Amino acid sequence: MTKITRVSLASPPDGGWGWMIVAGCFLVTICTRAVTRCISIFFVEFQTYFAQDYSQTAWIHSIVDCMTMLCAPLGSVVSNQLSCQAGIMLGGLLASTGFILGSFATSLKHLYLSLGVLTGLGFALCYSPAIAMVGKYFSRRKALAYGIAMSGSGIGTFILAPVVQLLIEQFSWRGALLILGGFVLNLCVCGALMRPITLKEDRSVPEKNHNRKSQREDCKQASPYSPLTKECTETRLCCSLQQEYGFLLMSDFVVLAVSVLFMAYGCSPLFVYLVPYALSVGVSHHQAAFLMSILGVIDIVGNITFGWLTDRRCLKNYRYVCYLFAVALDGLCYLCLPMLQTFPLLVPFSCTFGYFDGAYVTLIPVVTAEIVGTTSLSSALGVVYFLHAVPYLVSPPIAGWLVDTTGSYTAAFLLCGFAMVFSSVLLGFARIVKRMKRTQVPFPVKASDPKLQLWTNGSVAYSVARELDQKDEKPLPKARSGCNLT
Amino acid sequence: MRSHTGLRALVAPGYPLLLLCLLAATRPDPAEGDPTDPTFTSLPVREEMMAKYSNLSLKSCNISVTEKSNVSVEENVILEKPSHVELKCVYTATKDLNSMNVTWKKDDEPLETTDGFNTTKMGNTLTSQYRFIVFNSKQLGKYSCVFGEKELRGTFNIHVPKAHGKKKSLIAYVGDSTVLKCVCQDCLPLNWTWYMGNETAQVPIDAHSNEKYIINGSHANETRLKIKHLLEEDGGSYWCRATFQLGESEERNELVVLSFLVPLKPFLAILAEVILLVALILLCEVYTHKKKNDPDAGKEFEQIEQLKSDDSNGIENNVPRYRKTDSADQ
Repeated sequence: MTKITRVSLASPPDGGWGWMIVAGCFLVTICTRAVTRCISIFFVEFQTYFAQDYSQTAWIHSIVDCMTMLCAPLGSVVSNQLSCQAGIMLGGLLASTGFILGSFATSLKHLYLSLGVLTGLGFALCYSPAIAMVGKYFSRRKALAYGIAMSGSGIGTFILAPVVQLLIEQFSWRGALLILGGFVLNLCVCGALMRPITLKEDRSVPEKNHNRKSQREDCKQASPYSPLTKECTETRLCCSLQQEYGFLLMSDFVVLAVSVLFMAYGCSPLFVYLVPYALSVGVSHHQAAFLMSILGVIDIVGNITFGWLTDRRCLKNYRYVCYLFAVALDGLCYLCLPMLQTFPLLVPFSCTFGYFDGAYVTLIPVVTAEIVGTTSLSSALGVVYFLHAVPYLVSPPIAGWLVDTTGSYTAAFLLCGFAMVFSSVLLGFARIVKRMKRTQVPFPVKASDPKLQLWTNGSVAYSVARELDQKDEKPLPKARSGCNLT
Repeated sequence: MRSHTGLRALVAPGYPLLLLCLLAATRPDPAEGDPTDPTFTSLPVREEMMAKYSNLSLKSCNISVTEKSNVSVEENVILEKPSHVELKCVYTATKDLNSMNVTWKKDDEPLETTDGFNTTKMGNTLTSQYRFIVFNSKQLGKYSCVFGEKELRGTFNIHVPKAHGKKKSLIAYVGDSTVLKCVCQDCLPLNWTWYMGNETAQVPIDAHSNEKYIINGSHANETRLKIKHLLEEDGGSYWCRATFQLGESEERNELVVLSFLVPLKPFLAILAEVILLVALILLCEVYTHKKKNDPDAGKEFEQIEQLKSDDSNGIENNVPRYRKTDSADQ
């Protein structure tokens, strides 16, 4: 099979077919995140039909969310090995099968397996590859593209919630699950849209890749029965794993990973506990529901506008700072929340929190791409979303336990606020340390050692090259430069 | 109701002390009471009655009527079991109240006796209070206090608690089972029964004789009817009836039974759309690649030919360019 069916381009197109990719990713976010949130609309029906209580039925939502995030690395592996298109289409088929099997369920356990595990796995195969694809097609307008793509979860929830309610009224939950399964099949359409693209960066280190690639070519040409095969497949696996997951050893990425853990811990309880908190301070049911709606709508606005904002020339180099600023502001909002006890005070809180929540969600893939580059973006995003899974699972129950033992929401909110502030402080600290290290490097220039001079020449050349490259917003991945310098 | 003396006077609404005084002062009607000493025989009966009615709860309701209010102000009074009821109407006026009088009506028929009525005037408010015991369903209804010639009235609607079911119709599928639920909030019915059919012809559902129906409820204030092995004929109206000491209330649940083909049609429509779009997009992609590769003719196409010829013939051609890194796979 000729591999020369790929479209090879020098740099990300920043438009053209890229907008179709954004539309595809938008639809993927609707079909995965929004549908996951709408599953909770079925709970009342499941409770009546299966005669179970709320906690048993709520497991379905937890299982889907957990599977989508935990299996995100699996999604990137599959799409790296096959192709993005095949991976997403496979995910769409799996998710759809989960819904269809769920519509024939006779007990809650069947729903856990079909609607929970199978659908969650299908979503995982779609989510991170689609987001990674957007990063490959955009560089100048990356944040705006991500903003539009990620706004799918908010807009999707807004539109799908009444639609799902209508489907349940017309067809009862079985028919609604079947039709939702058909809707989720549109993930295959999104998959078909994800045309592969090779970038200049993929060919920028030909020596390293060439060795591995020639090994791969030899392995592929070897017949299946030759003794070389086992060695070949092992080395091939090792090489590809090393190439794809090399970023895990980067200090920048490790810092990002730890900060994501804390940030994910902090951000999830608000959506669960805002309404109960509002009711406890005396806000009426209608007003509490209105607060949640504001949160959702402003989330969408934050997605798109913050994406557009951070694409402006003045902010483009400071996306990292914007990201940690958004996370820090969310943390501060949390810390102020226990003092807001009336509805007129909670409305601006909802607006601010929702806006910056949408803001940092847009910037997560952008910041990840800045750190690891676009080749490993798919795998890196897989790991980042995997790190979201455990805090998402663990944080609401811990907050609930805190509320039950202390009798008020203050402790829970303060803990979440501190987690998010710590996350942004960690990132800021790491950035400052890196800056200091980089400013210290030119000092050895004064040494007369020729080797050192070569090094310093290299470092100066590197930093100059970096300045030039910043126009295209694609510096060489730091792992390789780190090796050269040290 | 209160126009009789004697034993039936004991049934009159309870100011027990007043009763004792009345009894002491009056002689009971010999036609109804015992021929022996009236105080002796009426005491235990009276005590029995008072014991029966003394542990009844009291329900009081107020209505304020002003000159500017609507013609009728309504208030709902919900009673589950026999109890004392105290209805109070407060009329506030700016004008002189001396000419104002108040009458009480039940279902638009005036109540004759003045026992249990208590009217006071204070400043510019006129308060009228009506106290009685409700002990059977005939006493339920609409009680109104009417002020003056303009017929300004306040209405108390006394009724048993209402049962609530699902307002929209329940959808289920053939061969499936479904659960119909009725709930009565803040009340405890003595009994629940289920009926099937329309308003005129109601057929009671017997859960014991028929395996198809199961009636149970986790709490006394709710009831569930589970219907198994549904058929299309099982669709229709189902009534749940809650029985109280003072009466009954019922609620209607609508059941619609569909066959599985009904949701299958939209599903197949979406499936067709997805297959169409996927085919379209993939064809478009192949077409675009062909178009892009054709005008390029030179480098890549020649290389494909050279590669192919290398593989197949093994003939050494003068290959000026080696395999480019265009063969970039992931």
